Amino acid sequence: MAKRVHEIRDPIHVFVRLDSQERDALDCWPLQRLRHVHQLGLTYLIYPGATHRRFEHSLGVMELASRVFDVVTRSDALQDSVRDQLPELANREDDVHRYWRRVLRMAALCHDIGHLPFSHAAEEELLPRGWDHERITADLIRSNEMVSIWRNMGPGLEADDIVKLALGPGRAMGTDGSPMDFTCAEEILAEIIVGHAFGVDRMDYLLRDSHHAGVAYGKFDHFRLIDTLRILPAPLSGGDDESGEPMLGVEEGGLLSAEALLLARYMMYSQVYFHPVRRIYDIHLRDFLGEWLEGGVFSTMAQDQLAMTDNEVLSAIRVAAGEPSTPGHDPARRICAHDHYRRVYSRRPSDLAKNPDAGSAVAHAVEHQFGADAVRYDTYRQKQGLEDFPVLRDDGVASSASMSDVLQSIPVVATDYVFVVPEQCEAAKRWLRSNVDDVIEPREETGDG
Amino acid sequence: MDRLRRSAVLAELADRLQGNGSWCGETHIQKAAFLLQEALCVPLGFRFILYRRGPFSFDLRDELTAMRADGLLRVRPREQPYGPSLDATERSRALRQRLPKTIEGVQPQVSFVGERMGVRSASELERLSTAYYVMHQDLPQADLDERVRRVTRLKPHVGAEQARAALLEVDRMKTDAERKGLRFVI
Repeated sequence: MAKRVHEIRDPIHVFVRLDSQERDALDCWPLQRLRHVHQLGLTYLIYPGATHRRFEHSLGVMELASRVFDVVTRSDALQDSVRDQLPELANREDDVHRYWRRVLRMAALCHDIGHLPFSHAAEEELLPRGWDHERITADLIRSNEMVSIWRNMGPGLEADDIVKLALGPGRAMGTDGSPMDFTCAEEILAEIIVGHAFGVDRMDYLLRDSHHAGVAYGKFDHFRLIDTLRILPAPLSGGDDESGEPMLGVEEGGLLSAEALLLARYMMYSQVYFHPVRRIYDIHLRDFLGEWLEGGVFSTMAQDQLAMTDNEVLSAIRVAAGEPSTPGHDPARRICAHDHYRRVYSRRPSDLAKNPDAGSAVAHAVEHQFGADAVRYDTYRQKQGLEDFPVLRDDGVASSASMSDVLQSIPVVATDYVFVVPEQCEAAKRWLRSNVDDVIEPREETGDG
Repeated sequence: MDRLRRSAVLAELADRLQGNGSWCGETHIQKAAFLLQEALCVPLGFRFILYRRGPFSFDLRDELTAMRADGLLRVRPREQPYGPSLDATERSRALRQRLPKTIEGVQPQVSFVGERMGVRSASELERLSTAYYVMHQDLPQADLDERVRRVTRLKPHVGAEQARAALLEVDRMKTDAERKGLRFVI
């Protein structure tokens, strides 16, 4: 008899299981392409073990999404106060419930299929205006090849439902380019994948990136955390006696695991994702692609997008590195020879106290002094909201922020780096030592913003 | 409006909300910024969609986080079981002093929003901002009854009378704003 459930070995989750219809989805090229897209871009130049790909991450997200779904929709886990707002999820024996479980798994599997080569590196600069990897993901999920897979599933799935859960509110757009409407249940299901507090996308990448990079920072007790996740009424603010729509939260017993997850995120961002050498390699890669790609941007045509992986880019980098007349030679050579620009400035609390825009002021001054070609500026602020989620106690629901000293103390991830070409690095550091106070001195307001 | 000027305006808004008694959590700032931008035409540049508790901007959420990173806002935990407040910091006051033209230019609008929204709870702000969303973006040509039905369909936990009261309150806000010489777009 043909096998109906297939197991895939995974270093993080041990086994990822999927049925034959789901394997048809996994076997399609948009997903197989992810075997050739590094999860962490060029991070392996700093952490040599970090050569893992988006393919295994996508499988991991699918596995965790179903685990969370099964926990939070368990009848004893659903509170009466939210059950009425989530009829799609309340009855586990219902076809509707089974439909949404399948949609969730496929959305989790597909949530990254629109990624450019080397993942996030320089997406804003290398796609035409109005495009991002989420829009490409939506186009691919709605492509004829994938729609025929969705229709052949039992029950047949709507591509738009998969787009919604894969991208979430604010990012999922209809074919007319307008934001898609979400029901309460759809918001919760999207939150399971891409939510900023408990999204399994993040859970998997922290665990997986930590494992492959060879660092312990991203590890936390995800078994305990998932087991205590609940759909709960949103926390109240003062003077309010009505809760908003429900959201993902935890039982009180899981609060420590939730703190560990959010600390892990902070540590991984600080130590791995925003490692300054990793960031400058991303910039060199962006510079290379800007010169190498036709018109300086990636094509957004689905067939072109699917044909382009890290392999094609790496091959081009190796060629360009050895041939000075080739477009992108200088950044390619820097990547291959590890001759990256050097950091001369990082944001400092004392500078920020004088000028919240100190990093940008330093970058402009160093550019003015040493020339734009010799300088690269990298700035980032964490793109997430307050870590305020509901916690279920014996006497009701409370805000996590009111219960956890740890959550109140986790800093927001932010970086400002100024890099300079190696030959001018020491001169730039000397110049900055003498001039930084003057450079960051706030100026009077002139003109319009 | 560039990032620093936008931060200065948001810090001013947070101060105005608190000055009028607001709890000033993220929901309060979201809804106040929505009306400041959409109704009173202060060009903050955020894109709002209908989400939890009404109109919501993920860009604004990120901006508030960036302001915390830069020491312009801080989170003030409150007693259990309530959610936290966001306070503008001394550093944000120094920034606003550096940008007097920006602050002067939006002062009447920010004051109006602070006065009218600072006194309201998150639930009231949800109803008011959803009512405005329906009038402004969703059903600009519809009559009151149709708009009431739309608000209650978008937010099933909002009753018809609450929806009607919120829609009428938006009309009153428009009248009051125009009396003060402010442009108020529906």
